[in-house]
Amino acid sequence: MATRKHKSDLVILFSTLGLMALGLIVIYAIGPMRANVLNNTYGASYDSNYFFLNQLRSVALSLIVFFAAFKWIPYKYIKKFAKPIMIAALIMSALLWVLALAGSSLAKCELGECRWFNFGPVSFQPAEFLKLALVVYLADFLARKKEEGNIGKWKEFWLPLLVVCGLSLFLVVIAQGDLGTGVALIAIIFSTLFVVGVPTKQYLIMLALVLTVATLAVITSSHRMERVDAWLTTLSGGESTDSTYHIDNAMLAIGVGGFFGVGIGNSVQATGYLPESINDSVFAIMGETFGFVGLFLVILVFGALLVRILKTAERTPELQERLFVGGVFAWTLAQVVVNIMAMTSLVPVTGITLPLLSYGGTSMIFLAFAMGLVLQLSCYTSREVDIENENTSSRRGVRRTHYSSRRRRS
Amino acid sequence: MLQNKIENHRFKILRGVIFATLAIILVRLFFIQIIEHGDWVSKAEKQHTLLETITAKRGEIYMMDHGEPVAVVLNQTTYQVIIDPTVTKKEDVEKVINTFVKDYVVVDLDEVYKKEGLRYSIVARNVPHSVAEEIVKAEVPAIWLKKTNQRVYPESELAANALGFVNADGIGQYGIEGALNDILSGKDGLLKTTADINKVALSIGNDNIKIPAEDGKNIVLSIDRGFERGIEEITSAALAESAATNAAVLAMNPNTGEILAMANLPSYNPGNYGNVKDASAYINYTTEVPYEPASVCKSFTFSAAINEGKMTPDTTYTNRGYEIIDNKPINNAEKRASLNGTIDMRTALYWSLNTGSIHALKLLGDSTNEITVSAREKLYDYYYNKFRLGQSTGIELYESKGFIWEPNAETYGLNAAYANMTFGQNLNLTMVQVASAFSAVVNGGTYHNPTIVKGALEGNKITPLSTESVADKILTDETSATMRDLLVNNRKNKVLRGIDRSGYSIGGKTGTAQAIKDGAYTMNEFIGSYAGFVGTAGELPKIVIMVKMWGEGQHIEGNKDPMSLFDSLSNYAIDYFKIKPGV
Repeated sequence: MATRKHKSDLVILFSTLGLMALGLIVIYAIGPMRANVLNNTYGASYDSNYFFLNQLRSVALSLIVFFAAFKWIPYKYIKKFAKPIMIAALIMSALLWVLALAGSSLAKCELGECRWFNFGPVSFQPAEFLKLALVVYLADFLARKKEEGNIGKWKEFWLPLLVVCGLSLFLVVIAQGDLGTGVALIAIIFSTLFVVGVPTKQYLIMLALVLTVATLAVITSSHRMERVDAWLTTLSGGESTDSTYHIDNAMLAIGVGGFFGVGIGNSVQATGYLPESINDSVFAIMGETFGFVGLFLVILVFGALLVRILKTAERTPELQERLFVGGVFAWTLAQVVVNIMAMTSLVPVTGITLPLLSYGGTSMIFLAFAMGLVLQLSCYTSREVDIENENTSSRRGVRRTHYSSRRRRS
Repeated sequence: MLQNKIENHRFKILRGVIFATLAIILVRLFFIQIIEHGDWVSKAEKQHTLLETITAKRGEIYMMDHGEPVAVVLNQTTYQVIIDPTVTKKEDVEKVINTFVKDYVVVDLDEVYKKEGLRYSIVARNVPHSVAEEIVKAEVPAIWLKKTNQRVYPESELAANALGFVNADGIGQYGIEGALNDILSGKDGLLKTTADINKVALSIGNDNIKIPAEDGKNIVLSIDRGFERGIEEITSAALAESAATNAAVLAMNPNTGEILAMANLPSYNPGNYGNVKDASAYINYTTEVPYEPASVCKSFTFSAAINEGKMTPDTTYTNRGYEIIDNKPINNAEKRASLNGTIDMRTALYWSLNTGSIHALKLLGDSTNEITVSAREKLYDYYYNKFRLGQSTGIELYESKGFIWEPNAETYGLNAAYANMTFGQNLNLTMVQVASAFSAVVNGGTYHNPTIVKGALEGNKITPLSTESVADKILTDETSATMRDLLVNNRKNKVLRGIDRSGYSIGGKTGTAQAIKDGAYTMNEFIGSYAGFVGTAGELPKIVIMVKMWGEGQHIEGNKDPMSLFDSLSNYAIDYFKIKPGV
C-alpha cells in the first residue's frame, strides 16, 4: 500500500450533507401535517414539531456518526471486527424475533410486522445494523477467500456464505417481514460477489436460486401478492382498490407536482392522503412539492453520489476496502432505485426508505456511518489500483476469451 | 494489470446500472409529471376538493289575520331513521321501531330484509326531534338518523290549493309553493375548499370558495285566514246540501285587486299530499282552469255598451225569445211569454236574456239589427284590452290564459261566436279573470290586477315583491254606478225576502253554462256561477265574491246553489269584516 492520503471526495461529502438537509426541510414542511393527521385519525397527541425535531435529532446523530467514521475510526479497525459485528447483528435480529414471538413489549410492531426494538422514546431497527454488518462481513470474507483462492469452492466458499446470507435474509424477510431490506441485502450480496468475481455459471445459478426463493416468498405471502397485484393493476390503468391506494396516491402526488411543483408547504397529499408521507413516500411528496425540476436535481445528486462511491470503490487499492465500498454502493443504489421505482409504479411497493431523505433514525445513522467510512477511504484512492497483493489464483474462473477481447480493444 | 482490467470492466457494468436505472426513472417521471400532469391534477381535484351545499332555509308562508301576518306554512326539522340491512340485525331494528317510531314507519321491514345487497333503507320519516334524541340515547348499533326539513301546514286543508305543497325533493308543487318556488327556496350556498383526508378544510389552494346560502323569503299572502276559514266552512256546508260535488270560491277587494279568500273544495292536506288519490285534487280552479262563466259576462257587455253611450238601462228592444245569427237561432234560457215584446235592458239583465246582451252588442256597432265588424271590435276592445279577459292576469300563481275570439278571426260563424260571447259562452276564462273584471265594473271603473301576495316579510315589514301594479280606469264613474244599480236590481227579490240586509249594497249576476265534454257542449252537465259584490249602501263595494259549482253529470244552475251560496257568503263577509250599514 503505497497510496498517499489525499483529500476526500467532496461530491460524496456534499451530496450526503445536501440530501440530509433537504430531507430535514421536507420533514419540516410536512411534519405538522403528519402530526395533525395522526392526531385527528388515531387520537394521538403529537406536537406539530414532533417529527421535525425527531428528524433533527436523527440528522445530528447521523452527522456525528458520519464525521466520526470519516475522521476517527479507521476502516482497518472495523474490518478486524467483521465477524463479531456480523454475529452481533444476527443475534440482535434473532433476539427481536424471539421477543416478538414471546409478545414482549420490547419488540415494537406496526401492522403485524415486528421490526424495532422499543426502548421507550427511542426505537432501533436491527435490520439497518444488519445491512452494515453484512457489507463489512462480506468484504472481509470475500477478500479472504480470494486470497486463499477458495472462491467458488463449495465447502470453503459457498457453504459459509449461504449460511450467513440465508440466515440474514430469513431474519429480515421472514421473521421481520421486511422485503425492502431483503432486496437491499440481496443487492449487497450479489454486487460484492460480482465485484470479487465468482465463476459466471455459479453466479447465475445462485442468482436464479435467490430469485426463485424470493418469488416463492412473494407467492406464498398473501399481502405481498396483493402488492404485486396492486402494482399490476396500477400499471395497466385498472380500477382503484384499497390495495392500490398507496401507489395511486404516490403517483397522484408526483403527477400533481408537474414541472415546478406546488411549492413548499403546499402539499395536499401530505395531509393524510398519501400513506407513509414522511418516510417511504417522501419522494412522492418531494415530487408534489418540487416538481420534475426538483426530482431531476435530487436524482442528479443521487446519481453523482453513486458514481463517486463507485469511483472510490474502483480506485481503492485494497480488495477488502474495495468490496466494502462496493457493498455500500449496492446498498444505496438498491434503496434509491427500489424506493423511487415503487413510487412511480415501476415495481411493486416494498416498504423501503429513501436513503438520507426519509424520516427515520436508524436507517440514516447506519448509512451515514457507512458513508463516512467510504469518505474516509476516498482519501486513499489511487489512479492505478495496486493489485500486487492480490493472489493470482483469483484469475481462475475468469474465462480467457472474456478478457482477451478486452485486451484487444485497449 | 489484467485483474485490474477485469475489475474495471465490472465497475463499468455497475456504472451502467446506475445510468440505466436512473434514466428509466427520469423518463418515467417525465411521463407522470409532464405528460400526465393534467390528468393527475384533475384526479387530485376530485380527491382534495370538499364540496358542500349550504342549504338555504325555505321561506315560510303567512296569511293576514286582522291586519297582522300569521304563519300558515312552517318548517320543522325532523329525522329519518336509516339502516344498513347488512349490518343492523332485523330484531334490533324491530325493537327500535316498536319502542320509538311506530307511527313513522314507511317500509315493510320484511321486504327490506328480503332484498339482497341492500345497504341503505329509510325505515321511518318525519320523526320529531324528541323521539330522535331517545333513539340516540338507546345506542342501537348501525342505525342512523338523518336530519331533514319538513314543511308543516298547521291549518291542514285551509286554502290548500292556493298554497300547494313541497315534494320529497324539496321542490314546491302547485299553488304558491310551486309558483313562487324560486323565491321561497332561496339559493343554496356552496362551500368548495381543499380539504385534508379527514375533510377538514385547508388553507392550501387558490380556488377555495364559500358562497353563503340565501335563505328563501317569507311570503305574506293577502288571504285573510279567518275569512278563508269561514268561506270554506260555509262552502263545504253548501256542497253537502247540493248536487254539486265541487266548488271554487274567490273573494277579493275590488278596490285593490287583493285576493281575500281562495277556496277549492273538496281539498286536501298539503302535509300529506301523497295520500291524494286523484291529482286533480291539487288543481286550483280559480286560476288554472278556464271555463265558460256564462251570463256573468253580461255585466261586461252591458258595461261596454253603457260606457260607450250606446245604451242606458232604459233602452228598449224587441224580445222574441231568440235571435237568428249566422243562420242559427240563439235562444233565451228564460222563455216566459210575458217577456216577449218591447222590454228595457234592465229587465233583460234581470231575467238574464241572451237577446238583451246580443242587442247591446248590436248597439256597440251603432246598429239595431245586425252585428257589425265595429260591434265585434268594440266588444273585443272591452273584453280583451279593458277587462283583460282571455289573458294572464299576472297573479302570483299558475294560471291559464283562457281564450277569446279576435274580432276579425278567420272562422265561420264569427258573429254567432260574438253573440255567444256577450253572455259568456264560446270563450274560455278563469274565475280570477272574471272576478277582476267584475271588480272593475263595480268599483267605479278601475281595473286592478289581481294579487294574492302582499309581499315578503322582513322583520315586521312587508315589502312588495313587485312594484308593478295595474290601476287602469276603463269605465266612467257613471257607467260603474249604473252597473251597480243594475246588479243590485238583479237581487231585488233578495232584499224583499230579507236575505240582503237593508243598509247594504249587494248586487250580482248569475251564470249557467253547458259543460263542454270532449270538445262539444253536453246537455247533461251544467256549471253554475255567480259573481257579486257587497258593500255599504251608497258607498263603493268592499268585497267581490265569485262562486262556481259543478259536479260530474250534474245540472247546476247559477241562480240556484251558487247564488244561494253567494247569499250566505255575502252576509258572512258583512259580519266578518264588520261592514257598516249605510243610510
